[in-house]
Amino acid sequence: MSDYVNQVTHPVTNSRTTNKESAIPRSLLGSLIGPTWIWLVLFMLLPMLLMFLMTFRTEAFNWREWEFTFENYRKFIETPSYHRLLLRSVWMAFVVAALSVVAAYPVAYVVAFQAGRWRNLMIMLLIVPAMSSFLLRVLAWRIILGSSGLLSTVLLGLGIIDEAAPILLYTPTAVIITLVYVWLPFAALPIAVALNQIEPNLLEAASDLGAKPYATFLRITLPLSMPGVIAAFLFVFIPTLGEYVTPALVGGPEGVMIGNIIWDQFSRALNWPMGALLSMAMLLIVLIPAGFISLYSKISRERAGNYD
Amino acid sequence: MNIFYRKLFLLIPFTLVALFLTACNAASAPDAESNEPLLILEWTGYEATEYPEYFLPFTEKYGETINDVLEYSFFGDDSEALARMQAGVEADLVHPCRSWWGLYVDQGLVQPIDTSRLTNWDGVPDELKELGQFNGEQYFIPWDWGYESILVRNDLVQDVPDSWSDLWDPQYEGRVSMIDASDVAFIIGSLSLGFDPWNTTPEQNEAVKQQLIALRPNLLNYWVDYTETYDLPASGDAWVVAGAWQDAYGYLTDEGYDVSYIDPVEGRIGWMCGYAIGSKAKNIDRTYEFLNAALDPQSQANMANDFWYGVSNFDAIPMIDEKVIELLNVSDFDSFFNETVFYQPLTEEQRQQFSAIWNEVKASQ
Repeated sequence: MSDYVNQVTHPVTNSRTTNKESAIPRSLLGSLIGPTWIWLVLFMLLPMLLMFLMTFRTEAFNWREWEFTFENYRKFIETPSYHRLLLRSVWMAFVVAALSVVAAYPVAYVVAFQAGRWRNLMIMLLIVPAMSSFLLRVLAWRIILGSSGLLSTVLLGLGIIDEAAPILLYTPTAVIITLVYVWLPFAALPIAVALNQIEPNLLEAASDLGAKPYATFLRITLPLSMPGVIAAFLFVFIPTLGEYVTPALVGGPEGVMIGNIIWDQFSRALNWPMGALLSMAMLLIVLIPAGFISLYSKISRERAGNYD
Repeated sequence: MNIFYRKLFLLIPFTLVALFLTACNAASAPDAESNEPLLILEWTGYEATEYPEYFLPFTEKYGETINDVLEYSFFGDDSEALARMQAGVEADLVHPCRSWWGLYVDQGLVQPIDTSRLTNWDGVPDELKELGQFNGEQYFIPWDWGYESILVRNDLVQDVPDSWSDLWDPQYEGRVSMIDASDVAFIIGSLSLGFDPWNTTPEQNEAVKQQLIALRPNLLNYWVDYTETYDLPASGDAWVVAGAWQDAYGYLTDEGYDVSYIDPVEGRIGWMCGYAIGSKAKNIDRTYEFLNAALDPQSQANMANDFWYGVSNFDAIPMIDEKVIELLNVSDFDSFFNETVFYQPLTEEQRQQFSAIWNEVKASQ
C-alpha cells in the first residue's frame, strides 16, 4: 500500500525516480533504508508473528509451556456477538470514511481550484484543529451534544423538546459525527493534492469541445482525482475500524466497536490470545479493501500506460 | 551491491539487537548492596513520593532522600498488576484489590506476612484482617476500601431507587450510566436477581447475562473513568450512576448538587485493596517499615479526609471528618461490616467467566 500512497501523492515524480534510481549507488541506498528496515522487522513483523502465534495459545504468559490449540478459533466461530460486532465496526468505519470523503471533496476542490493566493492559508486552517488533542476534540462533542449543551439548549429554547436531554449523544450516530469531524481535514488533503495535479489544459479542452461543467467534472475531474479519493477513504477507514476511544466516550451501549472489545481482552480480561485473534480478524478486514485498491491502481496504471 | 556488503548489511539489525540486549542486561544486573530502593507496584495517585501525607512516619524519616529509598512502578488496572507480577517483576510490595488476592496466593506471587512486625496491627478490626488471610496465613494487609453503589440526582428522578433491581425500572430509560467492569457488572446483576455473586450455578450465570442485556434500554452509556461519575450527573446526562464510588457523592454535594448515595436493600458493594509482599522481595526490613507507615493512624485519616476513602486502621476514626464518617457509615462497625457486600477473591475460572459474560453483554445488540 505504501507504494500506492507514494504513487498517489507523487504520480508525476514517481515515474521519473524509476529512471533516476541507477544514479544513486545501491549500497548507499541500502544503508539509507536500513533503519526503516530494522524498525519494520523489530516493531512490525516480529510483533505480528508473535501475535499470530498467540492466537493458538490458551494464556498470555509462560511461553515455556507451549500448548497448541484451536480453542480460540472455535470460541470465535461459536460467538455470534463477535461477528455482529465486527460487521458493525466495518459498517461504521465505512460510513465514517464515505461521509468524510463526501464532505471533504468540496473543501479540497475549493483549495485546489478556487483558493488562489489564499490556498496556503486555507490548508493551514484545515490543519489547525488537528493540532489540539484528539481527546479534547472528542470530548468537545460531549459538551455540544450533552443535555446542558449547545444543541439541547437551543432546541429547548425553540420549544422543539420539552426537557433538557442529550441529543444523539451515546449512540453510534455520535461516534460517526465525531469521527467525520476529526478526520475531515485528513481526508481533504490527499484529494486536494490529486485535484491540484490535474492539468488545466484538460479542463480547457473539455470546455472547448463543448462539455458542460458537470460533464467536465464527472468525466475528467472526478476520474482523475480518484486516486486521492481512494487514499482519503483508506486514511479514514483504517484507523476508524480500530477506534476504541471515541466509542467509549460518546458511543453509549449501542456504539461499542470491536476495538473496545480488543482493548478489554488485552488490558482487563487478560485474554491476550482472544484479543490477538480479534486483532488478526480486523487486520484481514483491512487488507481486503487495501487489496482491491492495489488491484485498481495496477489496472489504472496499465491503462495509463496504454494512453502513453 | 556485492555479496560482502549484502552480508554486512544483514548483520546490522542483529548487531543492534545484541547491543540492546547487552545494555538491558547490564542495567538490570543484580545489585549486591541492600540499600537498593523498595520497588512498589502501585496505582497512580498513591505514591508516597508525591503524597507523603499518607505514609507520614516513613516520608518524614527519609525526607529529601525519599526517591532513593522508594521506586514506583504504576499500573492502571488490577489485571495489569497481575500480568506484570506473572511476567516476573520482582516487586517488594504490590497493591491489588481483593477480587485478585486469591490469584496472587495461588500462583505463589506473594509471601506470608509476619504480623508481629506490624506496629499498628491492633487498630485493624479482626473482621478486616480476616479478609486478607489465605490458608491460615496473613498474605494481604487491608489498607483502603470504599463502596460501589447507586448515585442519584434526586431532583431529576421521580422515585429514588432503593434496590439494585430498581436500575431496571423503565422510569430511568436511557439515563443510567453503568460501570464498565466485568466483576462489578456481574455482582450487580446477581444481587438484583437475589443470587450470591460468588457461588452461582451455570444457569444463574446465564440468567445474570440475560439480566445485564435487559438493562440495555435504560443505559445511557458505560462509564470507564471515575471523573465520568462526577460529570455525567452534574451535566444531567445521567440521572442514575451504577457502581459509583463514594467520592463522587462527596464531590457532587460539595458542588451543591442534589444527589443521594443509595444504601440498597441488598447492600452496597464494598471494594478493598491492600498491600502484599512479593515472593521475591529483597528488602524485607524496609518493606515492614513502609507497611507500618501505611497503617499509621494519622496517615490513614489524611487519606480518608482527602479522598473520602475508607481506612483499615480504625484508630484513625477519631481524626476523620464527621461527614466522611457519616458517608462511610463506620460509626457502628458491626452494621457497617454486615450490611456491606465485600468483594470475595475470585478464582481464575470465575474471573474468565465474568469477563466473557460482560464482553458478550457489551457486544450483544
